[in-house]
Amino acid sequence: MNAFDGMITGFQVALSWEGILFVLIGVIVGTLIGMMPGLGPISAIAIMIPITYGMDPAPALVMMAGVYYGAVFGGSTSSILLNAPGISGTVATAFDGYPMAQQGKAGKALAIAAIASFFGGTVSVIMLMLLAPALSSVAISFGPPAYFALMLMGLTAISSLSEGSTIKAMISAVAGVMVVTIGIDPQTGTQRFTFGNVNLFDGFDFLIIALGLFAIAEVCMLVLNRKNRSLSDDQKLGSLKVSRADLKEMSGPMTRQSFVGFILGVLPGAGATIASFISYIFEKRISKNPEEFGKGSIKGLAAPESSNNAATSGAFVPLLSLGIPGSGTTAVMLGAFLVLGVQPGPLLMTDRPEIFWGIIASMYLGNIFLLVLNLPLIPYLAKILSIPRPLLISLVIMFSLIGVYSISFNVFDLYMLLVFGALGFAMRVFSFPAPPFILAFILGGMMEQAFRQSMTISNGSLAIFVNSPLPLSLILVAFLSLVIPGLLKWRSRRKLAKM
Amino acid sequence: MLSTINQRIGLILFIIAAVYLFLSFQLPNYPYAPVDADVIPKGLGVLMLILSAALFFSKAIETEAEKEKRNIPKKELLVLLAVFAMIFLYILLFEALGFIIMTAVFIFFSSWFLGYTKWKTNIIVSILFPLGMYAIFVFALGISLPKGILPI
Repeated sequence: MNAFDGMITGFQVALSWEGILFVLIGVIVGTLIGMMPGLGPISAIAIMIPITYGMDPAPALVMMAGVYYGAVFGGSTSSILLNAPGISGTVATAFDGYPMAQQGKAGKALAIAAIASFFGGTVSVIMLMLLAPALSSVAISFGPPAYFALMLMGLTAISSLSEGSTIKAMISAVAGVMVVTIGIDPQTGTQRFTFGNVNLFDGFDFLIIALGLFAIAEVCMLVLNRKNRSLSDDQKLGSLKVSRADLKEMSGPMTRQSFVGFILGVLPGAGATIASFISYIFEKRISKNPEEFGKGSIKGLAAPESSNNAATSGAFVPLLSLGIPGSGTTAVMLGAFLVLGVQPGPLLMTDRPEIFWGIIASMYLGNIFLLVLNLPLIPYLAKILSIPRPLLISLVIMFSLIGVYSISFNVFDLYMLLVFGALGFAMRVFSFPAPPFILAFILGGMMEQAFRQSMTISNGSLAIFVNSPLPLSLILVAFLSLVIPGLLKWRSRRKLAKM
Repeated sequence: MLSTINQRIGLILFIIAAVYLFLSFQLPNYPYAPVDADVIPKGLGVLMLILSAALFFSKAIETEAEKEKRNIPKKELLVLLAVFAMIFLYILLFEALGFIIMTAVFIFFSSWFLGYTKWKTNIIVSILFPLGMYAIFVFALGISLPKGILPI
C-alpha cells in the first residue's frame, strides 16, 4: 500500500462520523486539560484511557492522539494569559506571549499562537505521513539486538536531555526498569519481588504508574500552589485580529521552526519542551533585533508554538513505525495502544492500516478543529482557567481513582496509586525527572524480552550486540549521549579552574 | 558526612539498591533459559549501586531553583498529608458505602478543606459529578462501580 492509498484508507476512518466525533472529543478534552497549569499531556492521556475500554481501537486511538496534540495546543493559552505554562512544552511561549498579554494584546497573542500551532502541526503531519511508512519498511528487518539497542538509546537520550542532573535522570530510568521486574517473569514463570502477594503477581499496570507519578503528583504541586491566581472574570483579551504584516513577520520563524520541531520530535529523548526552547533560541540568534525578544515579539511567540506542535506529531514517527516511544508522553500513548490490544511497530502499517493511516489522517482534521476551536472560541474556552483550584484538585483526584479502579476493580491498586503519587511528588521536590521513569517502565519489559531473545539467538554471547553494524552504532550513540555532556561539563570546569 | 541533600538521597538509594540486589540473588534458578530471571535484576541492582554512589560523591552544587523547590513550609506539608489521608479514607470506605456517596463526600470536603468557600456551588458539583461519572461508566461504558448502600 503506498502513501496515497494509505491516506485514502486513513481519511475513510477520520472522516466517518465516529472519526470526526472522537477527534473532536479528543482535541477539546486535550485543549482543556492542557490549559490547566500543572496538568500535562501525560495526565490528560492517562485520565482519558479508561474511557476507551471496550471502544473500537481506531476511533479510540484517534481520540487519544487528539488529546495529546490538543494538550500541546491548549497549553499555550495559560502561558499567555497567566504566565503559568499549561504544560512544559509551552514554557517558552510565555517569554513573549505574556508580555504581549500585559500590553493588552492577549487576544492577538492567542491568535498568533493558534496560527503558529496549526501551521507547525500541519507541516509536521505531512512529514509524518512521508517518513513513518518509510521507517516502517526499514524497521521490519530489525532483529531483537537492534531493538534492544534502540530502546537503550531512547533511555540514555531522555536521561541526558532531561533538565538538571544526568545522574538523577539515570536513577529515575533505572528505578523505572526495577519496578517492571516486580511480578511473575513471563519467560520462566519465576516470581520476582512479589513477597508472595497475589496482587503483585501481574506487576503494576502502567496506568497506576502514569496516574500516580503524573496526575497525583501534579495534584500535590497544585495543592501547594492552590493560592496562585486563576483567571479573573474581568480580564480583557482584546481583539483576536492578526494583521497581514503580523502574518508576514511570523511566516519565517513558523516555517523554519516547524522543521526544527519535527526533527527534534522524531529523535528520541527530545520532544516538545526541548524543541520549543531550541526554536526560541534559534530565532533569537538569527534575528536582526534580538533585543525585541522577551518583550512581546511576534517571532518569539510564533517560533516555540510552531515548534512544539511540530515536535508532537514528529514524536509519532518512532511510536507508529518502530513501536518505541522516545518520550514520557509517547510512552503513555504506547500504553494506550496496548490497552486496546494494538501493538505499534513496523507491522502496524500492513496489519492494521486503518489505525496507522487513520491516526495520521485524523491529525489533519484535528489541527483544523483546533484552529477553528481556538480562534473564535478562545475567550469562552479560557473560562476554564477560572475553575477554582480546590475544586479542580478534588476532581482530578477522583478521575485518577476511577481510572485505576476501572482497570482491575482491585482496591490494592488504589493504594499503590497513592504510593506512586507520593513517590512522584518526592521526585519533583528533590528534582528527579519523572519522564525517564515512565519511559523506562514502558520500555523495561520489552527491553528485557529483546535482550533475552538476542541471547537465545547468540547462545548466550554478548557479541551479538557488537557484531552487526546497526546495534553496534546504536549502542555507541547511547554511550556517547551519556558521556559527552559529562565531558563537556568537566572541560568547562577545568577551564574555570585554570583561569 | 551527610552534609548535602544529594548525599542523603544517595545513601537511601544505595540501601534500596543493596536490598534489591540481595533479593535478586535469592531468586530461584530455572535451568532451561539462556538468560535466567535473575540476570536483569542483578544488572539493575549493580547499576543502581553505582549511580547512587555517583550521586553521593557528585560535586554538583544544588541550584537556587532546586533549593526553592525543596523548601516547603511545614504547614503546607500537613495540608498535603491531610489530602492523602482523605484519599486513604475514600479508598478504605468506597466499596462498602458506594461510589456515589463517597465521591460526593470526598469532593465536598476536600474542596472545602482546601479553601473553597462557595458552598452552594460545591454541593451542586459534589452531587452532579459522581452522578454523571456513574452514569457514564455504568450505563455508557458498562464498567461497574460499587453501588454500596444505594439501591441503584
